[in-house]
Amino acid sequence: MTETIMQQCAGAPQDMPVRRGAARRQLVRRGAVVAGILALVTAAPFLPLDPLHLNPAARGLGPSLAAPFGTDLLGRDVLARTLTALAVSAQVGLAAAAISTLIAVTLALAATFSRLAERAVGVLTELALGLPHFVLVLMVAYAAGGGMSGVILGVALTHWPRLCRVLRHEAQTVAAADYVRISRALGRSRFWVARYHLAPHLLPQVVVGFVLIFPHAILHEAGLSFIGLGIEPHLPSIGVMLADSLRGLMAGHWWVAVFPGLGLVFLALSFEVFGESLRRAADPVDGGA
Amino acid sequence: MKYIPLAAIALSLAAVQPVPAEARSLVLAVGGEPDAGFDPIMGWGRYGNPLFQATLLRRGAGLELEGDLATFWELSEDRLTWRIVLREDARFSDGTALTAEDVAFTFNTARDAGGLADLSVLAQARATGPNTVELHLRQPRITFISHLASLGIVPASAYGETYSREPLGAGPFRMVEWREGEQLVVEPNPHWHGGASPFERVSFVFGGEETNLSLARTGEAHLVAVPPIQADWAPAGMRVLHVETVDNRGVMFPMVPDEGQTTDAGHPIGNDVTADPAIRRAVNLALDREALVQLALAGHGRPAYGPADGLPWDNPAGYLPGADPIAAAAVLEAAGWQDANGDGIVERGDLRAEFTIVYPASDSTRQALALGAAQQLQAIGIDAKPSGRSWDEIEVMMHANAVVFGWGAHDPLEIYSLYHSSNAGLGWVNTGFYSNPTVDAYLEAAEAANSFEASLPMWQAAQWDGSTGFGARGDAAWAWLVNLEHSYWVSECLDTGASQIHPHGHGFPITWNLQDWRWTCQ
Repeated sequence: MTETIMQQCAGAPQDMPVRRGAARRQLVRRGAVVAGILALVTAAPFLPLDPLHLNPAARGLGPSLAAPFGTDLLGRDVLARTLTALAVSAQVGLAAAAISTLIAVTLALAATFSRLAERAVGVLTELALGLPHFVLVLMVAYAAGGGMSGVILGVALTHWPRLCRVLRHEAQTVAAADYVRISRALGRSRFWVARYHLAPHLLPQVVVGFVLIFPHAILHEAGLSFIGLGIEPHLPSIGVMLADSLRGLMAGHWWVAVFPGLGLVFLALSFEVFGESLRRAADPVDGGA
Repeated sequence: MKYIPLAAIALSLAAVQPVPAEARSLVLAVGGEPDAGFDPIMGWGRYGNPLFQATLLRRGAGLELEGDLATFWELSEDRLTWRIVLREDARFSDGTALTAEDVAFTFNTARDAGGLADLSVLAQARATGPNTVELHLRQPRITFISHLASLGIVPASAYGETYSREPLGAGPFRMVEWREGEQLVVEPNPHWHGGASPFERVSFVFGGEETNLSLARTGEAHLVAVPPIQADWAPAGMRVLHVETVDNRGVMFPMVPDEGQTTDAGHPIGNDVTADPAIRRAVNLALDREALVQLALAGHGRPAYGPADGLPWDNPAGYLPGADPIAAAAVLEAAGWQDANGDGIVERGDLRAEFTIVYPASDSTRQALALGAAQQLQAIGIDAKPSGRSWDEIEVMMHANAVVFGWGAHDPLEIYSLYHSSNAGLGWVNTGFYSNPTVDAYLEAAEAANSFEASLPMWQAAQWDGSTGFGARGDAAWAWLVNLEHSYWVSECLDTGASQIHPHGHGFPITWNLQDWRWTCQ
């Protein structure tokens, strides 16, 4: 094992700066795309577009200059609805990912305090991982009364275990390191150790974990809204729009499904790819490859 | 073992597969699965034609009353006794004869059960011979005849707790299987007194609007109910059928202010904004119902101004014409509602003119109506917030929030149910706690009238008598929006015969003449 690592490291000095530079540029590019998307959907409510305005005279119109994404069966502008829906998705995604990450970090740190806590967090994590994923999301969202808060809670309370497991493992490794033992022997408190030794090691994993939960969260929001457990059916949400589009598709109105669908895929994919770049950048071994 | 789930799926799919015409099996997706099962005493078939059970009378294509089980019926001079003679060849689907005892049992049990079939006015039903029955009323009630046309007769000997799931009746069909939430399979009752149906089996598939559309698109169903807004895009091999109805949609207003009262179940009562007559009148004046018909029904319907537009007991004098935002704004201003803070919504003191319009989230037509009405009301400074909820949630909210409800029946008994103060907070009728002693008196006078014709002026006066009434010109207890057409996609090979003007009724009214449907393709 040690030999393997040594061999890997042996080839590194020559190409690592070049590869690291390329990876960084890629990370910046992908980060810029994500920032751009976030800026667009954040600005959506301020654009001169009304996602709720009904127009009986413009029902089911195809894409045109006046309505680039067309209109739905109630004459509402699909572009306005798509952008607003993506903003809703982004809000749900950010909130759910933030809560989920907070739970994961809290539990991972708690696990370092005692053997009992370690065991308890371990059992809780494995238990949460063992339950059917989407069923659990459904149950939590339903119990929370549906709506946007229900979706956020449903996703947040079910997406922490994987990140928690990674962080717990990382925290254990750090806690067992010699320099941490020396710190403890020198009389440093647990919080000092957590602040100066654990946090710097865990932070990259936390950021990566947060970004990678995001696409899951928005896809689940779409899924829950699609089956009627999420956002109310008249409000713009990608899930609601896709559910509505089933009717539009019957009438040949492809635009009511394609544009929101593409928007969702693009949003989720860009975060997925950005998160992957972050993960690689944070990984000391994979970072230059 | 592992193949059992697959086999179950295959079987359930086979049950809804299209079958060749020669097998004479039909698949319908019209919705309307009753939560409480198929027990007439608990409300099944209360709009008529309960499928499994026969009724004493039935309504024909023109809504005229004709005998079904009854061959003769008359009301005594004091209007307190109905005398009915039954046909002798009526049999339940297990072959046993239907007798006067069964009829008396059904009416007495329905009276005691206090279910949706409200028979509290019945003193006693009595079999006076093997085929003759008398129904004695506590007081004259002219609309009682509607129960003769809607209450399905159940067998006295076989009625029990499981009846709603295993109904036995003397109607044109008998149940083969009911898998709740999935499908109901029926077959013709071989003992039915009305003749033979050409179909060996009829399956009713239950699902949402999307399920219906998918079944139609894949050719798996022969008749599906579709939202009117989509009706014009029928798939190949199916034609569009629009049926005229008295099925209406309107916004019910809570009529009392919120004083912290709750129902026995703990549900809140009252809404300070909708309790103001000026708000309700302004809503009625502002709504452009023609535009709502275009928006929500794609033109397949007509504006509604009252609960029974165009029926003999309707009173158009009680209408407010609508589509007049200027007049609506004037009504608000006269009542002290003004936009003092310039946010586009009027206030009176600390009270902002805002309320929630609740619609069932599963119903796209009611959603469109709620959204359309809310958008129109924004123009006169009323902030109506649409909110899509489940029926369970609506049951909790319906005494304190405006709700898009639907009604529409073939008789004026419904007017009494909706507007008489004795029904305030009772079930799904008069959920707004409407109460007007003058209206109560007219409704009671109508029920006590000498004849149906004599009752008509009383019903009309309850809507508007020149100074008060439940209509928009009076108390404006509702803002009626539209009268629907029921829209279906029907296989081009299926002849569904003459259409009856449908009542409200969640799916099943289309089956009123199911036994007469014919398959026209070879």
